[in-house]
Amino acid sequence: MASLTGCTGGSGSNSDRETFRFGIVTSLSGPLRYGGQVTKRGYDLWKNRINEDGGIEVNGNRYEVEFTYADAQSDPSTGADATQKMIDNEDVDAMLGPYSSQVPLSMGPILDQNQMPCITGSSESPELWRNQHEYLFGTIPSVNVFVGDVVEMLLSFDPSAETAYITGVNGPFSKSAAQGMRAGAEAAGVEVLGYELYPADADRSSIISEAQSAEPDVHLNSGNIDSNATFMASAQELSYEPNGVFQHYGINTPGYKNAGDAAAYTFGATLWLPQAGRSGGQLWGDSQTYADQFQAEYDKLPEYTEAASSATGVVYQEALAELGAEPPLTGDEQTQLISILEEITVDTFWGTIDYESEGENYHNNITTNPLAIQLNEDLDPEIVAPADVAETEPTYPIPSWSDR
Amino acid sequence: MVSTGLLTQTLINGLLLAGIYMAVGVGFSLIFGVLEIIDFAVGQYVMVGAFAGAALAPILGSEALLAVPFVFAAFFVVGVFVQPLIHHVTTGDRPMPLLMGLVFTFGLARFIRGSVLTIAGPNSRDVPTSIAVGSFSIPSIGTFPMVRVATALFGVAALAGFLYYLYRTEGGTAIRSVAEDRDISRLMGVNINRYQSLSYGAYAAMTASAGVFIGMVYSASVGMGMQYTGFAFFMIVLAGMGYLPGIILSGLVLGIVQSLTAVYLGSEYVFFILFGLIWVLLLVRPTGLLGKGEVA
Repeated sequence: MASLTGCTGGSGSNSDRETFRFGIVTSLSGPLRYGGQVTKRGYDLWKNRINEDGGIEVNGNRYEVEFTYADAQSDPSTGADATQKMIDNEDVDAMLGPYSSQVPLSMGPILDQNQMPCITGSSESPELWRNQHEYLFGTIPSVNVFVGDVVEMLLSFDPSAETAYITGVNGPFSKSAAQGMRAGAEAAGVEVLGYELYPADADRSSIISEAQSAEPDVHLNSGNIDSNATFMASAQELSYEPNGVFQHYGINTPGYKNAGDAAAYTFGATLWLPQAGRSGGQLWGDSQTYADQFQAEYDKLPEYTEAASSATGVVYQEALAELGAEPPLTGDEQTQLISILEEITVDTFWGTIDYESEGENYHNNITTNPLAIQLNEDLDPEIVAPADVAETEPTYPIPSWSDR
Repeated sequence: MVSTGLLTQTLINGLLLAGIYMAVGVGFSLIFGVLEIIDFAVGQYVMVGAFAGAALAPILGSEALLAVPFVFAAFFVVGVFVQPLIHHVTTGDRPMPLLMGLVFTFGLARFIRGSVLTIAGPNSRDVPTSIAVGSFSIPSIGTFPMVRVATALFGVAALAGFLYYLYRTEGGTAIRSVAEDRDISRLMGVNINRYQSLSYGAYAAMTASAGVFIGMVYSASVGMGMQYTGFAFFMIVLAGMGYLPGIILSGLVLGIVQSLTAVYLGSEYVFFILFGLIWVLLLVRPTGLLGKGEVA
């Protein structure tokens, strides 16, 4: 059973309140707890910062923000139950979405049925947007879109790759990422020597031996953080040495460092880094300012999902200002908010956010430019493409294991 | 056309995996024979052993191999104290002792997993080693990752040690007699409780130590236990239930079939093939590949 936690202290409509109330369903427990905390930190930082400023400005007045959390327990059906309870009992004006893609997939029909706006600052599966849920939006571009773009960048490094081998964990997210990799490789005119999806707990030695025998120029692999770390450790054990290894997701997360020295020189994709040089919008003038505040609050550098979650709050504050309605929002105002979100373009420290209003990326923001990154010897990520924002030249081909 | 290089490397990978599975299966088979329980917690001992390796390694100069003796000793003690609890729920006037043992150890497995999740959190942990790193290659044969070789050697050594103890020492004879017939063993003056506790302690120690090695190969994660429980079940069925030497063959079959299937059919077919093998075996040869397992 989903648990509801927060500071609202009760349920039912409260027409006298002078705060905007957001409901958040995310995974605070279970296997996706790490990701749930990622979204929570991002959302909380936005709430703290906007309330320090006095709240969201609407028609010259300011209204503070309050949150009510519900635990999806990393389970789609629990997430759906929690969403329904949130709408029925917590009198929320709008919602912020969960980590992962399976939970929001189950939430979409409930949001539409109850006409409840929700933007998720995580969730990268293209399936979410193909379902065309009217009340669900997403700030992070679909993984197949941006990973494909970064793969094209990687494959253009000198000497240009002619062959690639693609592997990935056989799950919804990683499969979409692998499909994006294949699309990127094919767009770059690179021959795909092998494409294999494997179970998350499969032993990597067989997979790597098979790829090794194909002798590709680059290896592209998708999986979660632990799985990708294990992949690199196994690649090192078996002396697998393509010119480059690209992995998604999470090469710039602490968990990936479990691969130790083997993690160095891995290529990856991200949508945001503190040094990305993005600027504009409210609350945080640029990406570095956001990163500094995040570091001060949580004693760690923000991941791109954390930044996207905070940026999602900025979108809401601009959309609510444009709506010009005081809290609590009526049903009609919530529907008007949807129209505004479809039309609005918001510049933020995270980049420009502009949700699609039609097509297979319906309500997904696909305007944010992805970045190709590479871990250096100290396992710090550096932007290596595109050229206009690159911090350094890529180390490519990557050093052989014996030269490290 | 099948590449010879890929085939030999696949066989090497399978052999080294076999060593890892032997390290887990040996203790599991022992307690099935001696205590007549199916311990659902086997995979969780692997998991908690891996986390123990991750926790101890930084104290020991980032070398998890040095943690193995400490983990072995600690879990031997844990096992000696846990076994009487299992004995309590599987004896007396309780019906279906096998089921009681299964339910009790299922609860134990959930307790261990929940405890580690609460204490260590959901993130995986590196189990570092600076000794078993890199690999060596034999021309025309293949590459041998050091950490997997070390794990396989541990599995083989553990199995050899157990077999030596069981078949060449007085204590081992007592344990085998308990496994054969408890009542007659008791009449012959064998201290049943003592040898059952020692067996369970040795099993817990062995399995948790294997967890340290497995953690070095893959890393320690809270969710890793369940698959080793599955593999342990597979191994004792294939070996013949309670027949310890059969673990050698079942480990080899498990490792090699897994590697060959992953390369030549696809990783998604591994469990289909492995458990298909078990189903067929249970139908046509329930005493295991060597025909020496126990049957009801």
